Amino acid sequence: MAHVTTMERENRRFGWLLTAPGLVLLAAVVLFPIVWAGITSFFNYSLIFPGYDDFAGLGNYAKAADDGEFLHSAWITLLFVVAVVGIQFVAGFVVALMLNDARRGKTVYYLILLCPLLINPVVVGLMWRMILHPTLGIVNWLLGTVGIEPVNWLGAPDMAFWTVVLVDIWHQVSFMVVLLLAGLSALPAEPYEAARVDGATPFQRFWHITLPMMKPVIVVTLLIRMIFAIKTYDIIYIMTRGGPGVATDLISYFIYRRAFVSLDLGEACAMAAMLLIVIAGLTAVLWRSMRQVQD
Amino acid sequence: MKKYMLSSLSALALTAVAAHAETVNILMEAVPDTTYIQQLLPEFEEATGIDVNLEVVNYAEMHTKLVPQLVSNSGSYSAIVVDFYWVGEFFKAGWMQPLDDRIAADGFDTSVYVPAMMDLVGQVEGTTYMLPFYNYAMGLLYRTDLLEDEANKTAYMDAFGTELKKPETWDEYLQQVKFFTKDGSYGVVNQGLRPDPIAMEWSNYLFAKGGEFIDDGWHATFNSPEGVAALEDYITNLNDYGPVGAASFSFDEAFNVFSQGQAYSYITYNFFRAAVDDASGSAIVGKGEIMGVPGQTPEEGGSLNGAWGWAIPKSSPNPDAAWEFLKWVESPEIAKKRALLGGSATRLDVFDDAEVIAKYPQTTALKELLLGSHNFPTFTYTPQFVEVLGRELSLAVSGEKSAQEALDAAAAEFDELAIKDGRQE
Repeated sequence: MAHVTTMERENRRFGWLLTAPGLVLLAAVVLFPIVWAGITSFFNYSLIFPGYDDFAGLGNYAKAADDGEFLHSAWITLLFVVAVVGIQFVAGFVVALMLNDARRGKTVYYLILLCPLLINPVVVGLMWRMILHPTLGIVNWLLGTVGIEPVNWLGAPDMAFWTVVLVDIWHQVSFMVVLLLAGLSALPAEPYEAARVDGATPFQRFWHITLPMMKPVIVVTLLIRMIFAIKTYDIIYIMTRGGPGVATDLISYFIYRRAFVSLDLGEACAMAAMLLIVIAGLTAVLWRSMRQVQD
Repeated sequence: MKKYMLSSLSALALTAVAAHAETVNILMEAVPDTTYIQQLLPEFEEATGIDVNLEVVNYAEMHTKLVPQLVSNSGSYSAIVVDFYWVGEFFKAGWMQPLDDRIAADGFDTSVYVPAMMDLVGQVEGTTYMLPFYNYAMGLLYRTDLLEDEANKTAYMDAFGTELKKPETWDEYLQQVKFFTKDGSYGVVNQGLRPDPIAMEWSNYLFAKGGEFIDDGWHATFNSPEGVAALEDYITNLNDYGPVGAASFSFDEAFNVFSQGQAYSYITYNFFRAAVDDASGSAIVGKGEIMGVPGQTPEEGGSLNGAWGWAIPKSSPNPDAAWEFLKWVESPEIAKKRALLGGSATRLDVFDDAEVIAKYPQTTALKELLLGSHNFPTFTYTPQFVEVLGRELSLAVSGEKSAQEALDAAAAEFDELAIKDGRQE
C-alpha cells in the first residue's frame, strides 16, 4: 500500500470535515427513514396500535407477495413504465435530433418544451381533468365540432390507462429532450464530416455514428426516466384514484393507501422495501453506465 | 427622549403579548360549511382574543394529514373535524379526548342535536367525543322545471299511463330517469370515482332497493339479491342514462353536469342544494329541489346519512382554547348564523327556526331527509372498507366483474375486517 503523507492525511481529514454536515443531514433525512422503514417491515405495526411488540419476520413480505391486488398493481406499473418510457424516448429523441439541427430560435423551442416540466404534477392532473371532462371539457367539445363522438377519457379502463400515459408523456417528455440534446451537442463533429466525405446518407450517419456514440447517454436517460416512472403517484391520485376498476392502480399509490388509509405501516413498509430493491437494482445499472460514460 | 423610549418599550411589550396570543389550529375540508365559519370567525376572535387558524384542504388530503398529528404525543392541531367513517378508527386508536366533563362543567346542551347525529358523530359507547358539526346526508337533487313542463307531463302520461310528479318510490324514480334521457339530456348523473364518491352514492341505491350493509351480528349482507339489484340499477343508470365518463366523476364534476342543466337528477350530499341557486356557478337557479332518496314504498327512504363532528385530539397543544372554540361554534346563535349563511344543520332548534325556514324553505325537506336516512357501518376499519367497496363497485361499473362477483368480493373482505375488529364471532 502506498505511503500516505501527513499532508494527504490532513487533506483527507479536512475533506471529511467539509462533507460532514451534508452527510449528517443526509443520514438524518434519507438513511434514518429507510432503516426505520426496513425495521418496521418486519413487524405488525399499525398506526392504530403503534408498537414494535409483534414481530412478523418475513410475514409482511409473504403477505405482499401473495396479495393479488398488490401484484396487479406491480403489473400495471410495469406496463405503465414500458409505455411511458418507450414513447417518451422515441418522441424525445426525434425532438432532440430536430432541435440539434435547428439553427435559429433554439432558446424559444427550449422554453416552450420546458414549460410542462415546470408545472407541479398535481396541477398537471387537475388541469387535464378539466380539459378532458367528457361533457364540459374543451377536448371533447373540439372533437364534437368535427363530428366526433365524446371520448370517455377517464371512465373506461383501457382508455383511462392510455390517458394517464399520455398526460405523463406531455408532462415529462421534455426531460428526455433536454438530456438527449445535451448528449447530442457533446458529440464530436469529425466522424460526421468523415462520413459525409464517404457519402453516407443521413440515416446511415444516425444509425452508425449517432446511435453508438449516444449509447451511454441513452442508457442513463432511460434509467433515470424509468425510476421516476415507477414512482408515479401524483397524477394517479388526482386523475383516477387507481380506477376505473383497478385499471390505473400504480404501485406507489397502492402502497400509499396501505400506509395512510389502512394505517398498516408494517405491510406498507414491506411493499415499499420490495419496490426499493427493484429501484436499487436499476440504480446499480445506472451507476455502472455512468461509470462507462466517464471511462 | 425618555418618553420616546417608554412608548417604544410599551409598544414592544404589546407586540410581545400579541405574539403570545393563543391560536387554535384546525384542519378543515374545503366545503361550503367551512367558508361560513371563516366568515364568522372575527366574532370569536374579538370576543375571546383567541386567534383561529383554519388550514383548509381537499377531502382526500385530510386523513393523510391528520394521522401523523394524531399519532404523535403533541400535534399541531388544537381541534379537528372528524368524518363519520373515521370515528371508529379514531376511537379505537384513542386519538380523541372525552368531552363529557367539559360539557357538564359548562352546561352545554347536547340534547338539541338530532339523535342520529349524536349517534354518528357525537357519542361512542356512551362517551361523548365529538359535537356534531354539519350533516351531509345524501338526497335526490331533481329538476322541478322538467317535472312541471306540460309537454313532459303529456309525454310521460302517454308513455307510462301515470302522472309525472316528484317520485314517491325508487321504481318511479328509475322510470323518470329513463324518461328524461332524451334530446341530448341525461336522466341522471353519477359520481363513479373510487373510492368514496362511488361507495357513498351506491349506498343510497342499496337502501332504496331495501338492502342493508350488515345484519345484527355484523355479517355482510349487502351482497344479497337486493344489493345485486341495486348495483345493477347503478350500472344501468351510469352507463345508459348518464353522461359519458361518469364512472370517473368526483362529486364536483358530477354536480357541474347537473348545475349546467344537463341532467334531470343527481343523488348527492345535501349541501349542494344551496349551490343550485348560486347564480355564479349554476344555470338552473330556482329549477332544482332536493328530497330524500325514495325507497321501495312512499313511507320508506333510501338516503345515506353522513356528518362531520368537532373533536379535541389527545395530541392537542391547547385543548382549553379548542373547547372555547367548539362551545362558540356550536352555540345556538352561531349554529343559527351558519344555517342562515347556507350551512347544513345538525341541531333540531336550527331546523325548526322560523327565520331559517323563511330564508331556506327547503330546510323542512332537509330535516325529513336527515331523519329518514340510513347509517353506513362505522367501525375501526371503515376507511379500509370504503376503499374495498369503492374498488369493487368500480370494477363492476367498468364491466370487469359482474355485480354479484364484485359484491361477494367486497362482502368477504368486509367480514375479514369485522372479524379483525372483534365485531363478529
